[in-house]
Amino acid sequence: MGKRTQIIALVVVAAVSASLAAGAAASPTAGPIKIGISLSLSGDFSDPGKAVKRGYDLWAAYVNAHGGILGRQVQLKIVDDASSPNQVVSNYQNLITRDKVDLTFGPFSSLLTGPAATVANRYGYAFLEPAGGGPKVFALHLHNLFFVQPAPVVKCGDTFVQYLKTLPKAQQPKTASYASLDDPFSSPIADAMRAKLEKSGVKTVYKTIYPAETTDLTPIIGKAIAPKPDMIIGGTQSVDAYSQVKALIQANYNPKFLFFSNGANSPTEFPSKVGAKNVNGIFSCSDWTPTAPTSGNKLFVSEYIKKYGGNKFQIDNNSSEAWAVGQLLQLAVKKVGAIDNKKIITALHQGTWPTIEGNLSWDANGSPSGNDLLVEWVGGKLLPVYPKSFALAKPFSPKPAWGK
Amino acid sequence: MQNLFIFTLMFAALGSAWNIIGGYSGYISLGHAAFFGVGAYAIGITFTHVSIGSGYRPFYVLPLVGIGVALVAVPIGWVAFRTRAATFAIVTITLLFVVQQLAYNLRSITGGSQGISLPPPSFPVATFEEPFFYAMLGVLALSMLASWWIRGSKLGLALLSIRDDEDRARGLGVQTGFAKMVAFALSSGLVAMAGGVWGYYIGFIYPQFAVDPLVTIGMVLMVYLGGKGTLWGPVLGAFILVPAQQYLAYRLGASNLYLVGYAAVFLVVMLLLPRGILPSIAERARRLRTRRLPPDPGRGPQAKEVVAS
Amino acid sequence: MHVFIQACILGLLTGGVYALMASGLALGFGVMRVINVAQGALIILGAYLSYTLYSSLGIDPFIGLLVLTPAMFVLGVVLQIVFLRPLREEEREELSILVTWAIALGIEGILSIAYQTTYRSTITSYADRSWTVLGYYISVARTYAFVASIVVLVLLFAILRFTKLGRAVRATVQNPTAARLLGVETRLVSALGFGLSVATASAAGAVYGIVFPFNPGSHYDLISRLLTIIVLGGLGSLGGAVIAALGMGLAESLFSAEFSPTWASFTFFVVLIVMLVLRPQGLFGARVRGAI
Repeated sequence: MGKRTQIIALVVVAAVSASLAAGAAASPTAGPIKIGISLSLSGDFSDPGKAVKRGYDLWAAYVNAHGGILGRQVQLKIVDDASSPNQVVSNYQNLITRDKVDLTFGPFSSLLTGPAATVANRYGYAFLEPAGGGPKVFALHLHNLFFVQPAPVVKCGDTFVQYLKTLPKAQQPKTASYASLDDPFSSPIADAMRAKLEKSGVKTVYKTIYPAETTDLTPIIGKAIAPKPDMIIGGTQSVDAYSQVKALIQANYNPKFLFFSNGANSPTEFPSKVGAKNVNGIFSCSDWTPTAPTSGNKLFVSEYIKKYGGNKFQIDNNSSEAWAVGQLLQLAVKKVGAIDNKKIITALHQGTWPTIEGNLSWDANGSPSGNDLLVEWVGGKLLPVYPKSFALAKPFSPKPAWGK
Repeated sequence: MQNLFIFTLMFAALGSAWNIIGGYSGYISLGHAAFFGVGAYAIGITFTHVSIGSGYRPFYVLPLVGIGVALVAVPIGWVAFRTRAATFAIVTITLLFVVQQLAYNLRSITGGSQGISLPPPSFPVATFEEPFFYAMLGVLALSMLASWWIRGSKLGLALLSIRDDEDRARGLGVQTGFAKMVAFALSSGLVAMAGGVWGYYIGFIYPQFAVDPLVTIGMVLMVYLGGKGTLWGPVLGAFILVPAQQYLAYRLGASNLYLVGYAAVFLVVMLLLPRGILPSIAERARRLRTRRLPPDPGRGPQAKEVVAS
Repeated sequence: MHVFIQACILGLLTGGVYALMASGLALGFGVMRVINVAQGALIILGAYLSYTLYSSLGIDPFIGLLVLTPAMFVLGVVLQIVFLRPLREEEREELSILVTWAIALGIEGILSIAYQTTYRSTITSYADRSWTVLGYYISVARTYAFVASIVVLVLLFAILRFTKLGRAVRATVQNPTAARLLGVETRLVSALGFGLSVATASAAGAVYGIVFPFNPGSHYDLISRLLTIIVLGGLGSLGGAVIAALGMGLAESLFSAEFSPTWASFTFFVVLIVMLVLRPQGLFGARVRGAI
């Protein structure tokens, strides 16, 4: 390779390096409040990522139409991380150091929230996030992090276990099989439930964790139902929840109790994927329902339908979680009277804060101290059934036969 | 902006390392991201049991990771090199998926899909990126040094002869097996070191991101773009593509166009510029030079006109 | 024993589908010495198109094939002419992998934009039904899939053996130069042969979409299995691909049932490594100079 081409290469490398190393002009500190957010608008998480964006956008529009925050308009700077941790780290760094945003909100998924929150923490930014509730996130011991949901993901099944205890002894399940997806949320949920259930005397007759790409759960369900368990607990996301149901139907097995941590809590997707006749009696957990009597929920639902149409049961939880993040920020800023990350962090670690996701409070690691809702399919509809104060229907068991 | 710089250097290092086996010998390894992942996990697993000390310990461990992975690459290479060309490429693709699957399944070691998270080092905020930057620069320098040294050595000649015609090389007595193995091991070790720095920098090592086919594609694309088999080609390719990709994602995101974009760039390079930028420039330069050569002395006055045009 | 036989049934049914998918790959290599890494993505494309026909127009996937197969045949021919033919003969094998990988990425990107990344499934009325025969349950959908695969494979064999195009393709596979000397238009035949291999992807996709949920990223999983199968069977050998596919379907199912579902996909890789150590050219591949 000739000297000339080597020189050309060096010139290009030098030019690019120079532009990379150069800083950017500082932006004005007065004017609109800039909030930096990285979202998965493409890649694996793009569907929930877009739902989160809808929530954030809706909140910002509403706030700006009603006087802004502290008299200033809110400006969201949303960038795409393509569902990649590399990109999410770059994005928050750029948002903070180059775009000099005043505040940051969280991205989608615990996988991305972890690295993102670490970056924000380094620069002293508060990190209110809608969708990073896996145990690994709280294990980071970040003081600036706040998961804006009533409970950490791993406690999703707690309300179900509590409900089971309210049943007369004869009706409670004696044996259980556990089939979970290997991902940062699903199997921890099932494991946490199993620990509690084993303590109260429910025998574990089968447990397994299957890899993420398993599309065919027939052999696993086959093994799970072989010991004829009273109850099947699925630590699932959506696709595998549907697969488990289909496998159970094909094998013609109807357990007395059936619980899925995810998938079965989707009001429109679940019946369309497994058949509307097959849903009744299945339990799941949820952080939010459109009819929950939480602070500002009616307003959120009506604003959402105004802007995006549809009916309230089509509202994705991710959008409500995003709105709650904005709502929480507004409350915090009102309390401390300034856009000051340090003060916001200190304020949020004290007391309870009312949002559409419930009345929230956190421990030192950002893990919320409440409980999720238990939901069940009753008469073809997904309704909250426990605890009583949020219930819209009475929970019923055992599970009716498939197709009833 | 140093953050972007780190990723650019990383891909430049990866490309240079890949070039040692893919560019010089012609054996297209499409599974190199597997070694990247192994390097990342090696650092991750080590430092869940050992403390990171002042934060510099992982950097000291890095060379050990490189050597360790290079040694592991030997038996892998032995099996893989029992095939040629297309089959070799397929086997390396399979290697990638095997390693990814192992990362998912060996839950007690790798944490499965929950991944491994490393504590962030307590480097001062203003200069947080710098140690990582220098570490990645170091890996790049090592890669290029190895690449440069091989070019001038007998090993390099052996690899080139393999690329031209392996059977003839073997017939002539060239130690093809040994050459391929050394190149493969060296290449893998370097890639693993880059992976180790990456794992430490991001702090979260998940199977689908640490062992990602898109990393292989990125590596290979940058090498082809810049010039396969050249010294600076992979670096040039990285310096063009990584900022471009991050810029597009940051400014224009919100659609899955980046995959289509990657595909388009790849296809354009393969079909229109298959030898890459640097060799094409070199070729163009050479043609210009030869056109300006003094005419044959036996031609007389006509020659002067040719030169003038 | 019951579990064993049940696993065998499941394995054979799945193996049949793999066989159909792998046959396209084997054909592509045989005709053009091209490893079509995009075959997985093309199958997923077929699945999406079949799904769209069904969910928007109510056309059953098997009937939709009558439209899909010719359409994807044409797509295959176009892909070959635009992306593969320009590659020089010497570099074709090496570059084809990269080019087709880029095509696969492009298809994945386009599908992600068009359909988003949610998982889909062609849920026909028979999707969940199963027959119980002698105490073993046999999924209706998988049986239809198996039968469809066999039918298409038989058709493929018939085309190759009995039609002029088929004979020309086989001649080109065996010896391109000799074929050309004998008057075979190898360029045309290569294009048509490749079109044929992509057409099998449409059938495989329709079938796949009924049995498994899929999204644009599903092609990676598929292609890793398929590549392993054709290496096992011997590159370029259609019969080898079919046998290897059935064998691997069985092996995976048995392993999953008897030992561990989590490690089931590993059976592919383990068998591959054993094969590479013992017989690198695969079951029916030829030990041709520089060709394996």
